[in-house]
Amino acid sequence: MSIEVHILTHDTTQRIGLKYILMEYFNIPSKTSTQLNIEQLGENPSSLFFVSPQCYIEYPDFFFPRKNRTIIISKSPIKDCLSIDVFSPESEIINQISFILESFDSSTDSTTSELSPREIDVLKLIAMGLINKEIADKLAISINTVLTHRKNISSKLGIKSVSALSIYAIMNGYISEKDLMR
Amino acid sequence: MAIISSKKQLSEIIISHPEVITLINRFGITLGVGDKTIESICTEKNLDYDFFVMILNTYINEDYFPEKILKSFKAQIIINYISQTYHYYTHYMLPNIERHFALLISHSGDNNNLELMQQFFIELKNDIIKAIDADCTQWFPYILDLEKNNNTKNTPQIKPKHNGSQIEDKIDDLKNMFIIHLTGKYELNLCYAVITAIIAFEKDFKQNNRIRNRIIPLIYDSLKK
Repeated sequence: MSIEVHILTHDTTQRIGLKYILMEYFNIPSKTSTQLNIEQLGENPSSLFFVSPQCYIEYPDFFFPRKNRTIIISKSPIKDCLSIDVFSPESEIINQISFILESFDSSTDSTTSELSPREIDVLKLIAMGLINKEIADKLAISINTVLTHRKNISSKLGIKSVSALSIYAIMNGYISEKDLMR
Repeated sequence: MAIISSKKQLSEIIISHPEVITLINRFGITLGVGDKTIESICTEKNLDYDFFVMILNTYINEDYFPEKILKSFKAQIIINYISQTYHYYTHYMLPNIERHFALLISHSGDNNNLELMQQFFIELKNDIIKAIDADCTQWFPYILDLEKNNNTKNTPQIKPKHNGSQIEDKIDDLKNMFIIHLTGKYELNLCYAVITAIIAFEKDFKQNNRIRNRIIPLIYDSLKK
């Protein structure tokens, strides 16, 4: 079963930003809205909700029973609730989401252990021996983003060293042995 | 876990913790220990039984690390033990993995993945040999010299070339490649032999590295004072 993510906030920047990060770094599509439409949501136990405090307060009957699946978008932590600080740097937001997804009690293992297309791009370049700066330049992303991808790749595959990642990339047809010679 | 004392029969320890067979071996103790206590076997072999018991406990119990006791031993005895362990790695454990890897490949038909993993193992083995060589030819002689003469004011200070963490990562990678990512046909029993040998080596290497990284620098500091 895959995670279904809903982002509910009146803040357009937050909606677009969270949607982008979830897709780009976790390969998770999400639905965004400014208000809750319970009929549309249905009752999916693998749904995860990113909501503004206003939205949470407006619909307590809906969110309170789903507390372990509701993440409140807030600058400071909220007691007994999951929360995310979207005002922190991008890498920090990614770490927070990563932590939430890992602790999310749902049968999503098959989805999270697979590499996203972007992670595969990064893996190919790591396997070919490029350093972080070169990968960042080649993919037009920041070094922090490269580091986050590397961390996710290592955690998903259980492989840390460059040479083992190269072997994995060859074994899975992402690169050929000839590509190892830069 | 109870701490082992030198009054215990060694056979009882081996039966409860068979993984120590590889450890006693590097102290020159072989199987067929009878009902003798650790103390009597060590006396016969002219070994320091306090040191042997301490290493035995450190090896069996990962949470046990008697820093003060270890520090009280001479650098010579700890370096001798680590050097013996290195010898055991290069002459027994690594060749054993290598031999089984070669047999696994020859008995598994056409599986390119195993050959790639063997290539990675060879790289790892070379890293280990290089690290061991740096310790045995540079760092250890320097510390022993310091202990013996305590006169190294005119010689340049030698620092360890590595802390072994990259090697630990690579051993973990190799293990995970087998457990998580192995595909294609392979001979089951030989694959089991390779993976168990890698796991045994990983545990041994980590324990030995713990002593190397935490105790030798402390001894070095106290010798420098």
